[in-house]
Amino acid sequence: MSTRALSARRPGTVDRVGSARLRVLSMLALAIVLAGMVWSRLAYWQVAQHGRLTVQAQAQYREFVQLPAMRGAVFDRNLTQLVVNTTVYSAFVSPDQIVAADRDRVATGLAGVLGVDQAKVMTTLQSSSKFAYIARRFPKAKADKLRTLKLPGVGLQEETQRSYLPGIASGTTLAANLLGFVDWNGAGRYGLEEKYQKVLAGTPGYISSYRDLSNREIVLGSHTHQDPVPGSDLVLSVDASVQYAAEQALAEGVKRDKAESGSVLIMDPATGGIVAWADYPSYNANDFNHTDAALFKDNVLSYVYEPGSVMKVVTLSGALNAGAITPTTVINDPGYLKVDGFWIYDWDRRNHGNIDYTYVLEHSLNVGAMKAMLAVGHDAYYKNLQAFGLTQPSGIDVAGESFIPLPSAAQMQDAQYATTSFGQGIDVNMVQMLAATNVVANGGKYAPPHLVERMGTQINPLLLQSQRQVITPATAAKMTAMMEQVVQKGSGWTSRIRGFELDQAGKTGTSQIPVNGKYTQDVWTSFVGFLPAQHPKFTMLVVVRKPHYPGSERDWTLNDGYMTAEPIWKQIAQTIVVDWHITPDPH
Amino acid sequence: MTSTRILTRRRLGANSAVSHVANPPRRRRRTRGFVHVAGAVAAERLRLNMFGHAYMAVGAVVIVLLFYLAIAAQITQASYDITRLQDQQRQLIAEQDQLRYQEVTLHAPAQVQQQAAQSGMQRVVPSSYVQGTEVAVDLEAPVGASASDTTPLWLRAVALVVNTVGGTRDVQAATKH
Repeated sequence: MSTRALSARRPGTVDRVGSARLRVLSMLALAIVLAGMVWSRLAYWQVAQHGRLTVQAQAQYREFVQLPAMRGAVFDRNLTQLVVNTTVYSAFVSPDQIVAADRDRVATGLAGVLGVDQAKVMTTLQSSSKFAYIARRFPKAKADKLRTLKLPGVGLQEETQRSYLPGIASGTTLAANLLGFVDWNGAGRYGLEEKYQKVLAGTPGYISSYRDLSNREIVLGSHTHQDPVPGSDLVLSVDASVQYAAEQALAEGVKRDKAESGSVLIMDPATGGIVAWADYPSYNANDFNHTDAALFKDNVLSYVYEPGSVMKVVTLSGALNAGAITPTTVINDPGYLKVDGFWIYDWDRRNHGNIDYTYVLEHSLNVGAMKAMLAVGHDAYYKNLQAFGLTQPSGIDVAGESFIPLPSAAQMQDAQYATTSFGQGIDVNMVQMLAATNVVANGGKYAPPHLVERMGTQINPLLLQSQRQVITPATAAKMTAMMEQVVQKGSGWTSRIRGFELDQAGKTGTSQIPVNGKYTQDVWTSFVGFLPAQHPKFTMLVVVRKPHYPGSERDWTLNDGYMTAEPIWKQIAQTIVVDWHITPDPH
Repeated sequence: MTSTRILTRRRLGANSAVSHVANPPRRRRRTRGFVHVAGAVAAERLRLNMFGHAYMAVGAVVIVLLFYLAIAAQITQASYDITRLQDQQRQLIAEQDQLRYQEVTLHAPAQVQQQAAQSGMQRVVPSSYVQGTEVAVDLEAPVGASASDTTPLWLRAVALVVNTVGGTRDVQAATKH
């Protein structure tokens, strides 16, 4: 090739070199872009999605099993176990793992052992779902039968259930309204189970381990293990025998009185520990999922009522303590009193003439109670209500306390002061009322009401605190003597227990039920009492709601506490006297 | 003083310094290691070539692998046994719970009352007083020894000495038991 020819190609060579460099650069850029796309995608999966992928990967080979903590047991004061943890089973199927040829055998087996509808089971098996429950919470015997059948695609799931002691009838359990129950998620509902959920439930543990292709745990593989911390046991102040007797007497009484409902609350006067807590009607806590939710309500604590004449114990105790009256102070009771423009009458609307305060309590006279309140004065009377714990919730360790606060002392009208003195126009729950009247039985001290005596090995701190002195021991003794007269000479005569006639203190109460601001003919009736009067072993309050005692349509006084609540009180007290070997004080 | 022997060694050392360094140290191990010897003997007898060594190495690895697999299988088997035993334990606990509930139910007030009623037992209310016999007590009578005490004086005197408690008939009566 000639030099000319070569020289003629030079510019072209320069062009080609330039385009080659361009191609290289463009290829490099393309490679960088492609690599960048790959890298960015890698970065996305490895950095941005790291957490999610790790979780997904671990889900394939790691198994996280929660170890449920054993829920604490509940005992009564004699260490009778009131609640037991039992194991129940739930059967489930995985329809996608059951071949069509086996479906009939599986459905027949499940229906035969569990008593479920075979057609429904067959429908479930033919569905495309991966998991379905067939039956829930059946006993171990059925589970064992099911295991022996070795049905394909059928699994058993263990669950813990709280089992409560049988009650007075086949459809009830002992102290159901007090204890509450534990739902299928392990949460305490109502009563003690709800109040002490954290204490009873404990802390669940876990096992994180590997599993093989058959989904079986490789126990010796690397795994982390945290033991569960079991819940604490509770020891209550309740006496199971007395509880049973109270429920039995209450059920009989409410049925006899044709009442809507009734409740009994029994307290240890010295400590404030609740001995029995009964409601009627009640329910079966072992079968809570088939129970009307209205029955779960605990009327002892969640139902407020006007206590009626039982309040006179508080009114007269305050007046005695203030020195405004004595048991023998004489007043004139014409049968009515005009307060704030309202005429307020005694229950019998009779002129009682000159009477003393012991007579006022014996015959439950409203005018006497109002005069005692007036003698002590509004402010002092209000402070008296506060001291007896009637202006704040009782604070008892059971869930669901209802409380209606009183207006402040300045806001209360004269008429409300007057009606409050004999227990109308003031709303309390039974725990508040029993704790208030128990002040008299406890030598003038307020014993805080409580259920739990011990949590695990720890004593309830309430028991170690000093009790508040509300009235002097001398005032308490005077009021006790007046309440003894109620049983011996007054409205408490139907509560007398043979052998304790001279050694028993009590007070009846009957109050009309207000509806839409007007009092109706329906009443709450009650009786509170303690014995032996000088050294009380128990204080008991019985409330019957809307009784319709046979014959009360002719004589409405038959619905009063002395005919409805007192016989229930008497029947339970007799049982306690026998069970606790109580003897009358020597006179 | 230098011996002729040392001088001779020095002379020899000066002449053969280079070769002295190149030679292995004079003090050699007289015996070789057992493994080395055994290996050499085995190699000599088996006449193993390079492939033979490779086969041996692979064989050793296989043996170790089999040993590992055996151990792993045992561990896996043990883990399955533990799982089975845990399952068995759960079932036993479930049975124990059932038995506990049955036991508690047997002592429940409802059951006790039902069984008591079946046995004809009744809760007796203490409704009667113990009848007492009236005794005439003269509250005006002087307090002291009974006037009808006819114990001789000498016996009282002896009793005072013998009985540290003092008294006469009361003490004698008490000591009879």
